[in-house]
Amino acid sequence: MTQPVTIIMIEDDEGHARLIERNIRRSGVNNEIVSFANGTDAMKHLFGADGSGLVQKGNALLILLDLNLPDMTGIDILKQIKENKYLKASPVVVLTTTDDSQEIKRCYELGCNVYITKPVNYENFANAIRQLGLFFSVIQVPPAAS
Amino acid sequence: MTAESQRRRAIWQILLFSAGLLVLTVISAGSVYLVNKARDDSKWVVHTIEAENQINALLLEIRRAESAARGYLLTQGADFKADHEKAVAAIIPALDRLTRLTGDNPAQRESIEKLSTAIETRLGQFAQELDFTDQNQQDKAAALVREAASTDTTAEIGKVAVSMIQEEERLFRLRSVNSDRSQTLAASMTGIGSGLVVLLALISIWLVQRSARRRDEAEGRLRDAYANLEALVDERTADLREANDEIQRFAYIVSHDLRSPLVNIMGFTSELEELGGDIFRRIGGLTHVPADGPPPAAGEIALEGPDKQLSADFSEALGFIKSSIGKMDRLISAILNLTREGRREFVPVKIDTRELIEAIVSTLAHQAAEAQAEIHVAPLPALVSDRLALEQIFSNLIDNAIKYLKPGTPGEIRIRGRTKLGYAIFEISDNGRGIDPKDHQRIFDLFRRAGTQDKQGQGIGLAHVRALVRRLGGTMSVSSELNTGSTFTITLPITWNASNRNADQ
Repeated sequence: MTQPVTIIMIEDDEGHARLIERNIRRSGVNNEIVSFANGTDAMKHLFGADGSGLVQKGNALLILLDLNLPDMTGIDILKQIKENKYLKASPVVVLTTTDDSQEIKRCYELGCNVYITKPVNYENFANAIRQLGLFFSVIQVPPAAS
Repeated sequence: MTAESQRRRAIWQILLFSAGLLVLTVISAGSVYLVNKARDDSKWVVHTIEAENQINALLLEIRRAESAARGYLLTQGADFKADHEKAVAAIIPALDRLTRLTGDNPAQRESIEKLSTAIETRLGQFAQELDFTDQNQQDKAAALVREAASTDTTAEIGKVAVSMIQEEERLFRLRSVNSDRSQTLAASMTGIGSGLVVLLALISIWLVQRSARRRDEAEGRLRDAYANLEALVDERTADLREANDEIQRFAYIVSHDLRSPLVNIMGFTSELEELGGDIFRRIGGLTHVPADGPPPAAGEIALEGPDKQLSADFSEALGFIKSSIGKMDRLISAILNLTREGRREFVPVKIDTRELIEAIVSTLAHQAAEAQAEIHVAPLPALVSDRLALEQIFSNLIDNAIKYLKPGTPGEIRIRGRTKLGYAIFEISDNGRGIDPKDHQRIFDLFRRAGTQDKQGQGIGLAHVRALVRRLGGTMSVSSELNTGSTFTITLPITWNASNRNADQ
C-alpha cells in the first residue's frame, strides 16, 4: 500500500456510524475514517469548494454511503461520484436499511461496488462490516486520480 | 316530480278524455234525435199542406160538377153531361183521400162527416136534376136547382170546407213553428257540442304541452345532476387516489424510518451483551483471584451465588429486548412488503389457473407431506389477470390450509372453481381446525390472528390476500366453524381490465 486509504463515511445516523466504525476497527483496519452526518458537508469535502473534485486528486478513498440522508439522497451522491473523473475510481459501499430490489438494482447500475443492507440482525451486519474491513485490508484502492 | 302529482295528471287526462267522449256521444245522440224530430215535423207540415190541397181539389170538383150540371140543364149538350159525370166520379175518391189524410185529427173527422153528408145530398140532387133533364122536364129540374139553392147545400159544403182549411192552416202554422224549433235546436246542439269538444281539445293540448315542458325541464335537471355527479365522482376518485397514495407513501416512509433506530437498538444491545459478558467475566476474575499467583484465564471462571443471578437476569433482559426487536423488525418488513405490493403495477395476462395452482401445490408438497395432507385440484376456469398476484393469493390460502390442519387428522384440501356472470368463483376448502365465526372479520385485519397461537406468523397473509383480491376487482369471504374446516371463497372477474384499477395507482 503506497498510500494509506482514507475511509469516507457518509451516514446521518450517529449510532449506525459508531457501530460501523467499531466493527471496522474490530476487524483490524486502522485506516483514517472521516465521518459526515449529512450530504452537503460530504459533497463539500469530496468535491471541494469549486465542485470539481480536484481537491481529492491523488488521494486513495473508500466511500461508505448511506442512501437516506436528511438533505439529499445517497443515490445523487453516488451518481456524482461516478461521474467525476477524479472520484469515479474510488470504491463505493452502499449501506442502507431497505432491501428493496429496485433500489439495489439502481445502485449497481449507477456503479456502486458493494451493497450492504443494514439488517436488524446485528450479528449478520457486524459480520458483513468485518468482512468489508478485511476486504479493505486486501484490496488495492487506486488513488483518486489517474 | 312526485309520483303523486304524476298520477293526478294521468287521472286528469283520463277524465278530460272521458268528458270529450261523453260530449261527443250526447251530441251525436241529440243530433240524431233532433234531426228525426225535424224530419217528422216537416212531414207533418207537408201533410197539412197536402190535406189543404185535397180540400181545395174536392171543392173544385164539386164546383165543376155543379157548373157542368147547370150547363147541361141549360143546353142539354152531351159534352156537359159527360163533364159532369167525370167530375162526380172524381168527387168520391177525392173525399175518400181527404178522409184518410185527416183521419188523425178528431175535429177534422167531424167536419168530414158533415162534409160527406152534404156532398151526398148534393150528389143526390145532381142525379135528380140530370134525370129530370134527361126526361126533358126542364122546369122540374130548374125547380130542383132553386130548391137546392134554397137548402144551401153548396153553401154548407163551402162553409165546412173553409173551416177545414182554417183548421189545417192553424195546424200548418203550429207545425211550422215546431219544425223550425226542432231545426234550430239541432243546429244549436251541434254548435254547442262542437264548441265543447274544441274546448276540451284545447285543454288537452294545453295539458300535454305543459307536461311536455315539465318533462323537458326535468330532463334538463337530470342531465345537470348527472353531469354534476360525474364531476363529483371524478373529484372524489381523485381525492381517494391521492389519499391512497399518501397512505402508501406514509407507510413506506414510516416503516423505512422506523428501521433505522431499530438497527441502532439491536446493534447497541448486542454491544451491551458483549460488554455485559466482559463485565461479568471481570467480576468473576476479581472474586476468584487467588491469594497469590496469576489470575485464571477469563473464559473458565464460573460465577457463584448472587453474581450468577445478576448475570442471568442481565442476559434475560437482553434476550427479551432482542426478541422484541426481532418481532418489530418482522412487522416493519411486512408493512414494507405490503406497500411495495401496493405500488406494483398489475399486468393482465391469460392464465391457466389450474396449471398455476398445480405449480403452487408442487412447491408446497413438502409441507403437505409433513402435515399428511392431500390436495385435490378440480378443473378450474382460466382467467385474464395478474399472474404474480394470483400466485400470492392462492399460495397464501393453500399454505394456510396446510398450516392450520387439525393435529392427528389427515388433511384434505380441495380447490374448486366455477364461473358465474363474468366472474370466476374459487373455493379453497379444508378439514382443518376451522375459525370461530366471531373471528371471521378479524382474520382479514393486518397483524391479527385467531385461534390457538401455536404456529409462526405475523397476521399478514390474509390481509395481503384480501388487498390483492380487491385490487383485482374481486371479493373474498370465509365460511367456517371451529373444528369443521374452513372454506375461503374468492370471486374474481374473468377478464380483469388493467384500466379499471391500475389507473388508481
